[in-house]
Amino acid sequence: MTDLAIELRGVSKRYRHFTLDNVHLKLPRGQIMGLIGANGAGKSTTIRILMGLVHQDSGEARVLGHSMPAEQVDAKWDIGFASEDMRLYDSMTLAWHINFIASIYPNWDASYAQLLLKRFGVPPDQKIKGLSHGQRVKAALLLVLARKPKLLVLDEPTTGLDPVARHEILRELTNVMADEDRSILFSSHNTQDVEQISDQITFIDRGRIIDSMDKEAYLDRWRRLRLEVPSGIELPPLPGIIGIQQRGRLAVATSNAFVPGLANAYENSGARVQRIENMTLEEIFVANVERSREEVEA
Amino acid sequence: MTSSVVGQLILKDWRLNRLLIVLSVALGLVALFVAQFGSELARLFGTVWFFVSLIVLGSILPGTAIVSERKKQTLAFIMSLPVSSVQYSLAKMASIWVMFLVPWLTLLISAVVLVATRNIVPHGIIPMLLIVAVLPLIGFCLISSAALLVGESEGALVAATIVCNSSYWFAFYLLCHIPSLAANWSRPVAVWNPAAFITLSAELGFIALIVGLTLFFQSRKRSFI
Amino acid sequence: MNGALTLSQSDKRPIYLQIMEQIKQRIAVGDWAQGQPIPSIRQLAVDLEVSVITVKRAYYELEREGVIVTQHGKGSQVASTPGLGARLRDQELQQHLEQAARIAAQLGMLPEQLEDRLREVGDRLADKEKEKENELV
Repeated sequence: MTDLAIELRGVSKRYRHFTLDNVHLKLPRGQIMGLIGANGAGKSTTIRILMGLVHQDSGEARVLGHSMPAEQVDAKWDIGFASEDMRLYDSMTLAWHINFIASIYPNWDASYAQLLLKRFGVPPDQKIKGLSHGQRVKAALLLVLARKPKLLVLDEPTTGLDPVARHEILRELTNVMADEDRSILFSSHNTQDVEQISDQITFIDRGRIIDSMDKEAYLDRWRRLRLEVPSGIELPPLPGIIGIQQRGRLAVATSNAFVPGLANAYENSGARVQRIENMTLEEIFVANVERSREEVEA
Repeated sequence: MTSSVVGQLILKDWRLNRLLIVLSVALGLVALFVAQFGSELARLFGTVWFFVSLIVLGSILPGTAIVSERKKQTLAFIMSLPVSSVQYSLAKMASIWVMFLVPWLTLLISAVVLVATRNIVPHGIIPMLLIVAVLPLIGFCLISSAALLVGESEGALVAATIVCNSSYWFAFYLLCHIPSLAANWSRPVAVWNPAAFITLSAELGFIALIVGLTLFFQSRKRSFI
Repeated sequence: MNGALTLSQSDKRPIYLQIMEQIKQRIAVGDWAQGQPIPSIRQLAVDLEVSVITVKRAYYELEREGVIVTQHGKGSQVASTPGLGARLRDQELQQHLEQAARIAAQLGMLPEQLEDRLREVGDRLADKEKEKENELV
């Protein structure tokens, strides 16, 4: 028994037009990790490596204590996987898929499946090809949720869903957290979802992990300082400030390592701090990606 | 536990493709029925369509059972189950072979019984019938191996299909020109000489080789999806 | 206890602060009595559909402020300190007063002017209450 649901160490994979480089990632048991990144950043590749679907070129991947991809069969008994580019069989019904999965997995919970069918409102006897996008996503999630697996690995579980469906999914995902032995890794463009339910956040850009840490501590490090800069005053460069935008006498400084001393430093330099604001995860995401792109170009 | 996953995968393929199989068996049996009528045209029609139904099944089945799983992205769904890529390939090989062999054997046995019980054609044709009937089996083997190994593009499947389907006449031509085989067609009794055995064994051996190589290369793949 | 707290999406403050504020309000108005058990961290996280770590942080800060008490293995409860509700209400008042003073300073008002304004507001409120009572009679 290990305390880590997922552990990636130095994982790398090279493709012709993309390289995943030296990925380190840890998800403790009983926690939810949100994986954020732009399109093509490497989220799907990372997820495929930890599911054993793709063999990494170097580095170790351990999921629920099993080494991947060597022990993928053992691991997959306890993992529920659903991804945006995964499809169910068009010509079959959800009821057929339920039977298929239930005949493979012994811990299928039929009464929970019934409850989810009602909550999600997906008709079980209609062919998959006749379902809307949202219903298909919910169908695929139902098939993994009703197994109550120890680890859920979800690639874009709420993408393309209407607000009601999104909320239904989030509710089921947070219900999973009632059991402190179960863990979730999900990737999403929806920073609001990630901000709301994740315990850990991992940022990936261009095949590299930019940040991976505890969500509250992470959000706490970032601030936006609104400054009033009288003419003749020049703002000093300060450690922990990753960007300043100035227009006339107003400036906005973005910090990714905020300490109260920063505000004092600005005041001492002659500028006046009007407001210190928290940043949403979306704003942090954009600031991070822009900075990483500038660094690459430099 | 794992053997039941493989079993479920085979059952699943059968369930998805059973209509195709039933149709091809039906077509083949109709062809055999038609071939019994006296006229030469009927016999030709029946014989050709007998083989066509096997060839068509052999060409379509790899597409529906292998390539569409990748194209329609249900492969990710299957690989999320507790099964390795090797087990998947084995299950896939097993299921498509069973799905092809059932109609193939059905039609072959029907044809042999027809020849043996009705005296429309001399029984000497039976060894040749078996040897020629294995040709669609070889074609199916090559096409399905191509589909399994080169999953990323449909091109390999199409290429293999075209090559095989346009080579049957040539294979038939070669077989007809093996003197010790051709000589015995019109005999009233089936003659099993060494030439017949060697040819049949060579065909089956070739199939076993292709299957073995396919499984070997499948197991070496590092990016399964 | 279900549905005891609601989070607002339009509230821009960090979620853990919203949770803390609502818990303090419940105690301040007397909904949650002193010594009363409160939902476990995990249970509240599930009910509010937020991460466990956020609720943990809220509880940690509340415990530091002496508002709640957590016993390992036994869960959490409202602190039993007497006068807790009144203290919390007083803290809330203090925060509002400080904010008023800050805004007044930005507007360039003197403390005496702020005092006058506050008296004005208080008087007007008292008048309104009297009017209501008269209407009911």
